[in-house]
Amino acid sequence: MLQYIARRIVIAVPVLFGVTIFNFVIMHLAPGNPVDMFVNPFATEADIAIKKAQLGLNDPIWVQYIHWLQNLLQGNLGYSFSTYEPVTQMISVRFGPTFLLMGSSLLIAYLLAIPIGIISATRQYSTIDYTATTFSFLGVSIPHFFMGLGAIYLFAVVWPVFPTGGMNQLGGDGGLSDTLRHLILPALVLGTGVAGNMVRYVRSSMLEVLGQDYLRTARAKGLREFIVTNKHALRNAMIPIITIIGLDIPLLVGGAVVTEQIFQWPGLGQLTIQSINSRDYPTLMAINFIAAAVVLLSNLLTDIMYSVVDPRIKYNK
Amino acid sequence: MAKKRKAAAWLGIAGLSLSLIAGCAGNSQPASQQGTSPNSTTSAKTMMLGMVNPPVLFNPINSPDVASSFVEGFFFDSLLDMTAPLQFSPELAESFDSKDNQHFTIKLNSKAKWTDGKPITAKDVVFTMNLVANPKVETSVGAYIAPLAGLNDKGKLPDGQTSLDSVKQIDDYTVELTTKQPVDPNMIKEQLGSKLMIMPEHVLKDIPPDKLSQHPFSQKPNVTSGAFQFVQYVKDQYVEVKANPGYYKGAPKLGKVFIKLMPAPNLVAQLQTAEIHLNVGMGIGKIATQDYETVEKMNNVRYKVEPNIGFQTMEINNKTLPDPKVRQAIQYALDRQLIVKQLLKGQGEVIDGPYTSVSPYLNKNVKVTPHDTDKAKQLLKEAGWDFNRTISLVVPTGNLVREQSANIIQQNLEAAGLKVKVTKYDFPTIMQKGRAGDFDLLLIGFTFTLDPDVSSLYGTGGAFNFMKYSNPDMDQLLAQGKAEADLKKRHEIYDQVQALIQKDVPVITLYSDYDMAVVSKKVAVGESKYFGMLYNLNQWDLTGAE
Repeated sequence: MLQYIARRIVIAVPVLFGVTIFNFVIMHLAPGNPVDMFVNPFATEADIAIKKAQLGLNDPIWVQYIHWLQNLLQGNLGYSFSTYEPVTQMISVRFGPTFLLMGSSLLIAYLLAIPIGIISATRQYSTIDYTATTFSFLGVSIPHFFMGLGAIYLFAVVWPVFPTGGMNQLGGDGGLSDTLRHLILPALVLGTGVAGNMVRYVRSSMLEVLGQDYLRTARAKGLREFIVTNKHALRNAMIPIITIIGLDIPLLVGGAVVTEQIFQWPGLGQLTIQSINSRDYPTLMAINFIAAAVVLLSNLLTDIMYSVVDPRIKYNK
Repeated sequence: MAKKRKAAAWLGIAGLSLSLIAGCAGNSQPASQQGTSPNSTTSAKTMMLGMVNPPVLFNPINSPDVASSFVEGFFFDSLLDMTAPLQFSPELAESFDSKDNQHFTIKLNSKAKWTDGKPITAKDVVFTMNLVANPKVETSVGAYIAPLAGLNDKGKLPDGQTSLDSVKQIDDYTVELTTKQPVDPNMIKEQLGSKLMIMPEHVLKDIPPDKLSQHPFSQKPNVTSGAFQFVQYVKDQYVEVKANPGYYKGAPKLGKVFIKLMPAPNLVAQLQTAEIHLNVGMGIGKIATQDYETVEKMNNVRYKVEPNIGFQTMEINNKTLPDPKVRQAIQYALDRQLIVKQLLKGQGEVIDGPYTSVSPYLNKNVKVTPHDTDKAKQLLKEAGWDFNRTISLVVPTGNLVREQSANIIQQNLEAAGLKVKVTKYDFPTIMQKGRAGDFDLLLIGFTFTLDPDVSSLYGTGGAFNFMKYSNPDMDQLLAQGKAEADLKKRHEIYDQVQALIQKDVPVITLYSDYDMAVVSKKVAVGESKYFGMLYNLNQWDLTGAE
């Protein structure tokens, strides 16, 4: 097993390397460049030329890439083209909020979706099933921004229980309960959206397993129905669900761009959009690099989880 | 059994979160009443401002956007402030005079101190201006110093020179500036007086000029001159500033100010819930027109709608549409009043040219080109226009009114018989298409100075002259206008500029949209306005004792 993990990690390095080249090229192919965002009418042509030279934008693209790679190998992600802050600092400040928001919304999603999915599969075509599938359908199809604005209107303006946005009360103590209060609306909005999708996966995956012979055997042994569904059936139904969870993990660092914007959540999603709009190459490269690394890592984790859930799946050699 | 225990634990958590919600319900009072505990030197009063555009950095000579410059105004003072169109009030400079319009004497307020206690002297003024002139320093305000004598053709210090002779320290509190030729003193006062913020020489002098932009001072200025001091900028959330008790115009009455960042729709919501006291207008904290009605119905605020000097244009590619008749036809085809009426709910104005009603240089005798589809058709026929040709209209995303105006423009042009293809791009793409001339019509907005020089838009080779307009008469007028010190003659020159714009139609001014400034009734002093908003910052106050 350890050997397998080590081998996967070794393979991941060239993949990651390839991803960075691909990103770098795509980014430079996009029309416009950072200096184009220098639209202050008081900047003279000379000012623009100076800026271009200092940012290294006059070098050929491959030289720029090698500079970036050299810095990366020394653990230096460079300076942002727009704010001149070290990129590492910009990302680390936003990583926590994104992780908190996405983590809690995924948690909400799974806590809602897995039980609802199981219930709706075991009582197929019942009222509960229809209600659950209808709501999950709504959850999938209502856009997050709409749900977000609706939630702000209802729970912050009409019935002011929660703040309209942000992560902490200004001038407040910034304590845990304060953050929680700000977290609830965006996490619920995101969570229900993800849950809508998830319910459908859990339900169909459970349905597939429920009809199988070994469950009849289990019941024939006299096991309680609760054990049959939640232990024997669910475990086999988990494989496709784990795949979905594995695909969700990169969201933890990618963030939810639109929702973060609406709730002014200071996360990576907002930073990404700002960096794209200002063609902030170093920041974009760093975000892409981290996202790629997390995707590779979560793929590995997913594969390991398979073998935990289903002992028939073994990775030897 | 284990399962049951787990279930019980979950119920517990659910109960906890319910009580949490209940606990919060009673705790929804406005943030201003929860300010930090009072101490002996500064007030506990906290004001909250709402802004949409996030500032980028706080290096006054290198910030590329209005939002950053606005925030810098809280902690950096300039020499003067423009408190009404071309009216200047003293800040760091007690006086800013000239006898011959070529030599300007600046007397500094000797009471002014940096926040570290050091006096603000002539050295700082000389240092700041030389910094902008230094070819190794990244700056976005090079145009401010352009009228000064002794610069090379790029507007920078000539090679091998380390300081400008035209910026001279006379004594500790006196500086003399010399311009290339006599100029309109208002131009110098606006650019070098009211716009350029002075930076601390004793803090920055040892930083290599090419490393200045990356220096932490650019993000967290720790020695400043303004009524407030920088505390922190929590990205995408807020900028926090606190009172500077040693401020030379008197200690501020507020203890703290937060400039909160939020999307435009949230501005009105937060004004309603009293989470913010006022919106920053000036295009960076703009209340959407569709929200005007909501504001008018709110009873916890005062509001007013104010014109400004920004304007939206449609640049016409003079290379692909070289016939002035075609360009005139396009102008006649447009129903700009409809844009103002429908999209701005009447809160805007239609002008021909770059001067809005705020500008003293707007020639009010010039009749704005009316909407006349028949005239447009006739002009197109006279020009021998090929009615099968499709022209492209390129629209930047991000400004909703501007995006919607593209639909009206398209309908107007089609009514005159033109075929139009609309494409939308993000801003960097628009800039590239503009520079490359890859468009027929392109929408873009500008905010220049009150000084009437518009060479960058109408002059040959101007930085924003994407239409590649080039008329020697125009170039000559613009050059004369810049060099003219006599106010009356300047007015005459810019009247001619406006007449020529109407004739050539190199670019169509679509509209200038007003800003709505909303202020909570809890605010005693302080409001959002276009001129001199931050001039009386130290007087800003909330009503009532807290």
